[in-house]
Amino acid sequence: MQPTGKMTQPVVKVQNVSIAYETRGGDITAVRDVSFQIHRGETLGLVGESGCGKSTIAYGLVNYLGRNGKITKGDVLFQGQSLVGQSPEDLRKLRGDQIAMVYQDPMTSLNPVLRIGEQMVEVLTVHRGVSEDKARARCIEMLGRVYMPDPAKVLDRFPHQISGGQQQRVVIAMALLNDPALLIMDEPTTALDVTVEAAVLDLVADLRRDFDTAILFISHNMGVIARVSNRVGVMYAGELVELASVREIFARPRHPYTQGLIRCLPNLARNKYNSPLYPIRGRVPSPAHLPPGCVFEPRCDYARDRCRQTRPALERLEGEHFSRCLFSNEIDPAQWQPPPELSLELATPPAEKPDPILKVSGLKTYYPHTDSSALSLIGLGKKEYVKAVDDVSLEAPRGLTLGVVGESGCGKSTLIKTIIGLEDITGGKVEFLGFDVKRTVARRDLDLIRELQMVFQNPDATMNPTYSVGQQIERPLRRFKVVPRDEVRAEVIRLLRAVKLDEHYYDRLPRQLSGGEKQRVGIARAFAGRPDVVLCDEPVSALDVSVQAAVLNLLLEIQREQNTTLIFIAHDLSVVRYFSDYIAVMYLGQVVDHGPAAAIYQPPYHPYTESLLAAVPVPDPTVEQEHIRLEGSVPSPLHPPSGCRFHTRCPRRGMLPDGGKLCEEEAPPWRDAGGGQHIYCHIPVEQLAALEPVIQAAEA
Amino acid sequence: MTATALAQRAARRSAWQRVAGGLAILRRSRVAMVGAALVLFWVVVAVFADDCILSPACWTGSPEYTSTPWLAVYPYDQGTGAVLGPPSADHWLGTDRSGRDLWARLAYGARIILTLAPLSVGLAVLVGGVLGLMAGYFGGVLDEVISRILDAVIAFPQIILYLIIIAALGASAANVVLAITVAGAPGIARLVRSLTLDIKTRDYVAAAQTRGESPWYIMLVEILPNASGPIMIDAMLRMGYAVFAIGTLGFLGLGLPPPSPDWGSMVNLGRRFIAAGHPWDALWASMATASLVVGLNLMADGLNEELQRYR
Repeated sequence: MQPTGKMTQPVVKVQNVSIAYETRGGDITAVRDVSFQIHRGETLGLVGESGCGKSTIAYGLVNYLGRNGKITKGDVLFQGQSLVGQSPEDLRKLRGDQIAMVYQDPMTSLNPVLRIGEQMVEVLTVHRGVSEDKARARCIEMLGRVYMPDPAKVLDRFPHQISGGQQQRVVIAMALLNDPALLIMDEPTTALDVTVEAAVLDLVADLRRDFDTAILFISHNMGVIARVSNRVGVMYAGELVELASVREIFARPRHPYTQGLIRCLPNLARNKYNSPLYPIRGRVPSPAHLPPGCVFEPRCDYARDRCRQTRPALERLEGEHFSRCLFSNEIDPAQWQPPPELSLELATPPAEKPDPILKVSGLKTYYPHTDSSALSLIGLGKKEYVKAVDDVSLEAPRGLTLGVVGESGCGKSTLIKTIIGLEDITGGKVEFLGFDVKRTVARRDLDLIRELQMVFQNPDATMNPTYSVGQQIERPLRRFKVVPRDEVRAEVIRLLRAVKLDEHYYDRLPRQLSGGEKQRVGIARAFAGRPDVVLCDEPVSALDVSVQAAVLNLLLEIQREQNTTLIFIAHDLSVVRYFSDYIAVMYLGQVVDHGPAAAIYQPPYHPYTESLLAAVPVPDPTVEQEHIRLEGSVPSPLHPPSGCRFHTRCPRRGMLPDGGKLCEEEAPPWRDAGGGQHIYCHIPVEQLAALEPVIQAAEA
Repeated sequence: MTATALAQRAARRSAWQRVAGGLAILRRSRVAMVGAALVLFWVVVAVFADDCILSPACWTGSPEYTSTPWLAVYPYDQGTGAVLGPPSADHWLGTDRSGRDLWARLAYGARIILTLAPLSVGLAVLVGGVLGLMAGYFGGVLDEVISRILDAVIAFPQIILYLIIIAALGASAANVVLAITVAGAPGIARLVRSLTLDIKTRDYVAAAQTRGESPWYIMLVEILPNASGPIMIDAMLRMGYAVFAIGTLGFLGLGLPPPSPDWGSMVNLGRRFIAAGHPWDALWASMATASLVVGLNLMADGLNEELQRYR
């Protein structure tokens, strides 16, 4: 067993590195003065929001910055040798051999026209000169170590024939084949579902133990970082602002930015009635216009004059805890008070459950699937359907929020697209304001359309790039005749103010806005007609954590003012818990668990909800979380499993006699779990209620 | 100046400033500037060939008005010099078989080309754009029908298409425009269709649909402005092809009837005299066509390159 830790020389040592990009307007510094080191067997997590430079550092380490990037200052020492200034040929030998990299999207990391075996074997034959047979054997062994089922068969498949989680395992296996000294992982699980992500993170933890590799793990998700890292570095606007062990960072953050980040994370204990989410005010500075002193100073609640004048150095506070702040020793996060402009009122829960304003009964949305056989070309093939939404019944109580949660492919997006009329209803009923809403939106009454609006997921695509913000908010006002013509402009300004944007945004074009601002405009546009129900399709998924908090607060405020009913879709369980009054959990086109938010997150759980909760990465390294992992992958909605659709992966099948044979044969009944919760499962409620809660705070 | 004030100023740019902005892109590319210079040369020659620009009577083509040549120096329809004369001090490019000054014919011919080409491309963009939008947005059977019709038209070699149309309808300016429109619209329709198919998937189109907007509103107001970039570059390239096509038609004798100084027909009329030692008709008219086509292509290339550079 090799001595790990500080005894040995660090595998990689980054010293005061600055990286700049050449652009039309001159050189832009993306990373300024970053220093850290990683020892063998240690995982350094680099966390930060978009644009902070964490990926740039990763590419800079292997000097793979693109045509116009360059390391302007500082040095990168890899196993004692400097990487800056080496010839491309020497660097090529290092990459893939001693330094390996795993990227975010496995589908673009693997060559789609080569078989997996060919790609993996190449790593060994090129760098180590191993013969093909020996290389193949080693690949099979490595695939086994990343828990890939049936490794020999996988080698003969193409990347598109295996699932996303399996692709990422292949990429990780390829990275480890040459036993690299340094493994760089750039957001490797961001593109994966929660349950798959949990399995891949388990794998990373195991590998750390088995291979003793130094790992640089980059992510914007604090929960993931908490789970995988030994030490954490927090980056902001190209600088490293705090560096400490993972427990220290979450328990005692010393830099105001880290404190602000942790304050605006929704975790499973918080909800909108007991604690407000305080966002970090202001906006990340553009790299071309950095503040003269401390880079965080314009947004810092503790800023003083000195902060504007001097740029703080990364100072050691105690032990291995570093912070780039002049006043770290004087700041106590426990004493923090929100500044006056951020004072948030907490909502009060309603006394009794209001009547539903929107009712969905037995909704079915099927997409016809064109078989690629010759018969179907002439229309005689078997008619198959992708059962995206299969028999869903929900109610949205007036003025409250219904959250719908599930992984990709569960049908939640299709569900709200059907409700709003962008998709055709194949069966079942949608009742809105007492009307049976059957037709697609193109044929509905304008009054009905006005009362049911939507906020979209992708802030970059939600606004038309050609028209200004003001014009786009005016459109629904004019179309629905909300106010008389001469008052339209005033109303637009009022809406802009309601979403915390000042009136100068009226003439701006979307490309001049940040992601969070675009999403706010999208919200203003959706609420312009004062609708009764707003469907939110993952409105905060594409946003940074601090912006997410601001947008959630905004939605809450508008909801309170206008008594709007919200149907909120997300895949992030903490966000849904924070925001919703009632929650429905969907799996493969069906609702499997629904009820009040508090009840869903406590036993009794539906087994799927339980595994989701066990998989979600919690941004607190001290909590105890049950370790439940799902096998296999989500079945195809073309041929959903018989009986209970979850039976192929259910970890609690064994609780029933005969190993759960009933689950394969019969569809489960709806069981009343008390407190308004209903579970779609064969297992009796008493047995489910006897299970341990999935997430428990650590004993003090 | 604060960031907000700067942004305000940027957002309120007037239309003139936006045009200037577009021209600025052009200025950055040397290739585009060379092309622009060539095109601008012919535009100036065409506009100032005679004093028509100053008199509205000339525009309506009233027969009483006779214009005085400026840059053209001589009128194009009367013999003013020796028959088949070589370039000389009096007649810079020589004279043709009726004694008409070649430079004057080129100058007046520039007018024809520079009105017909943009007109036909404009019509092709209009027709092709509408067809492409409809096919891309509505999809289904309409898309199939439109696409197959477009495929059929594209399948014809262009020259054959021109021959058929002109032979059926007769040779005139309007028919030349019609022929080029028919030949050019399918290509544009395909381009617009693929752009529409892509833009249709964006959230802002879904947002418009959830507002219950009519399909034509969505196509013309939401989708079309975002497709305008590639369409404009394609249109500019097509102008080069249109110039070339007009020249071809003239050469085949299908262009405008005499004494029209159509460059293509100048080449056609002059080719018989090349062997006899008088290549000037054919030479100058061909070079003029070539220079204009090259100029338009260079402009399109330069713009394209500039827009792609920092992508």
